[in-house]
Amino acid sequence: MKAIRVQHPGGPEVMELVEIPVPQPKPAEALVKVAVAGVNSIDGHFRDGSLRMPLPFVPGQEGAGVVTAVGTQVKALKAGDRVAWSGTLGSYAEYVAGPEEHLVPVPRAISDEQAAAAMMHGLTAHYLVNDAHKLKAGETALVHAAAGGVGLLVVQLAHAIGARVIGTASSAEKAKLAREAGADEVIIYTEQDFEAETKRLTGGKGVEVVYDGVGKATFEKNLNVMKLRGMLVLYGMSSGPVPPVDPAKLSEKGSLYMARTTLAHFTATREELVARTSALFGMIAEGKLKVRIAKKYPLAEAVQAHRDMEAHKLAGKLLLVP
Amino acid sequence: MKAIQVKQPGGPEAMELVELPVPTPKANEAVVKLAASGVNFIDVYQREGRYKVALPFVLGQEGAGSVTAVGGDVKSVKVGDRVAWTSVLGAYAEYAAVPEDRLVPIPAGVTDQQAAAAMLQGMTAHYLSHSTYPLKRGETALVHAAAGGVGLLLTQMAHNIGARVIATVSTEEKAELAREAGVDDVILYTHADFEAETKRLTGGKGVDVVYDSVGKTTFEKGLNILRPRGMMVLYGGSSGAVPPFDLVVLSQKGSLFVTRPTLGHYTLTRDELVARAGAVFGMMAAGKLKLRIEHKYPLAEAQRAHRELEGRKTTGKLLLIP
Repeated sequence: MKAIRVQHPGGPEVMELVEIPVPQPKPAEALVKVAVAGVNSIDGHFRDGSLRMPLPFVPGQEGAGVVTAVGTQVKALKAGDRVAWSGTLGSYAEYVAGPEEHLVPVPRAISDEQAAAAMMHGLTAHYLVNDAHKLKAGETALVHAAAGGVGLLVVQLAHAIGARVIGTASSAEKAKLAREAGADEVIIYTEQDFEAETKRLTGGKGVEVVYDGVGKATFEKNLNVMKLRGMLVLYGMSSGPVPPVDPAKLSEKGSLYMARTTLAHFTATREELVARTSALFGMIAEGKLKVRIAKKYPLAEAVQAHRDMEAHKLAGKLLLVP
Repeated sequence: MKAIQVKQPGGPEAMELVELPVPTPKANEAVVKLAASGVNFIDVYQREGRYKVALPFVLGQEGAGSVTAVGGDVKSVKVGDRVAWTSVLGAYAEYAAVPEDRLVPIPAGVTDQQAAAAMLQGMTAHYLSHSTYPLKRGETALVHAAAGGVGLLLTQMAHNIGARVIATVSTEEKAELAREAGVDDVILYTHADFEAETKRLTGGKGVDVVYDSVGKTTFEKGLNILRPRGMMVLYGGSSGAVPPFDLVVLSQKGSLFVTRPTLGHYTLTRDELVARAGAVFGMMAAGKLKLRIEHKYPLAEAQRAHRELEGRKTTGKLLLIP
């Protein structure tokens, strides 16, 4: 089968298209023919070595497809079932073997593309607004990178809850997308200071919660735009890691809360994973949540997909099609 | 009137018993004849000059007594009313002028001494257990310094909610006090490693919340014993300030939450102050919250009170009686 492989960490060019054997499912695994694989920023962190991985490896954590074979201990799945997953390495390939407990069923109304695109970003958006900070109607949320893969979904979910959403985006084009997703206000941070603007937009009161996947570039100012006892949820670091934080700052700025979250801790049990994906797929099927596919690439063009992802020019989800 | 004044910052001897005029109330103030003043660590920090106060000043942030005069704009209290307050300087005296909006009424069933003792530590224990992390029945909390002033009250409130309380203390004598307050499991941190013990006591699962007023010596290990998505509430630093820390630690250890609250932000509005004080007084009047007032000193012996507080020889609350 064809797959993308990383032999040595580095830039996008270290990803090579190779021919390797189709994996054999272990007893608790199912073998899946990949219809689409999602491209995520974490794939870039593994590729460039900022997150460690034994070499060589096939990148890709997310996808959707059809089960073609199952291991002897697999109970719920059978060949022909449509499934989606995240957190299973090796998805940039024609086939991937994944643990049954990571595979979730995809309902008929959801396409493979939508399912794959909804997994990591959708699950992240879902835990952010429902669990990391349980957003309530009438609250105000600041959503950074509101036209990004997670951002567009957070904005929609927050809007559906009845919260006021202030988004940040880098261009007028992206601002338009964020508004279409339900953002009440969008700050183009390349033209305006998001701290001053957020203060102005909230009449000096600040926001209940900041959802931040940006990290270093936004951290300090975030602390100045939060309400008393507000919550900063840091779920990514697209601009680089935040330098060490003095906890005294949290009290000085108003008894603030801070969390640094990762998806795995919000899908740790099978029940939670299935409940979250079902909720997302349900909203997509009802047309309440729109997953924006930015671009599809043939598997062989994974290098270009990573270049585009890291240039932050595309809005929405990048997919590889084996 | 007699009062304890600091002219130059320094040791306990920097506190002098002086004769000052009885204050006259400003338009928004009431003058209160003190029945008791609370002694707190913040008084020590202000006396030492670690927290800056304009010199000379009368110490004391907490008290209770009866109103003897009111300013022209005062509406909610009248002469003869029993009131208590915190976070207003000048309580180490026979009389203090206090802004009306900081005064809370003392209900029948609560003595002036109890009220004075409960304001700072009781409301702190209340916001920690009811607002910062609202504990629920069946949850497990780790309370550091459980035999300390706040610790004993926090433990009782957590126990009354129906939470399991694991506590750290330094001596067998303090362990006994913590048990009387409702602690389920006591760890003598001078004999056993609280990280290993807490893991053992929770079957490796960790606790839902850590309430930490110790800071430097306990913070890191505290993060190791939180369950995934658990909450670290750092509300003091009796062992020193927690140094700046890398937020990645929070995601690595389980998408943890951290907050650094202060009482001021949890009693900021008049409504919240009155509701919180009322809740604490209600618990006391109902016999559900026991305060240990074991150390009472005449106002003139403020120096001895500070020496004993700083020597960590006392348990429970210290009061000055004018």
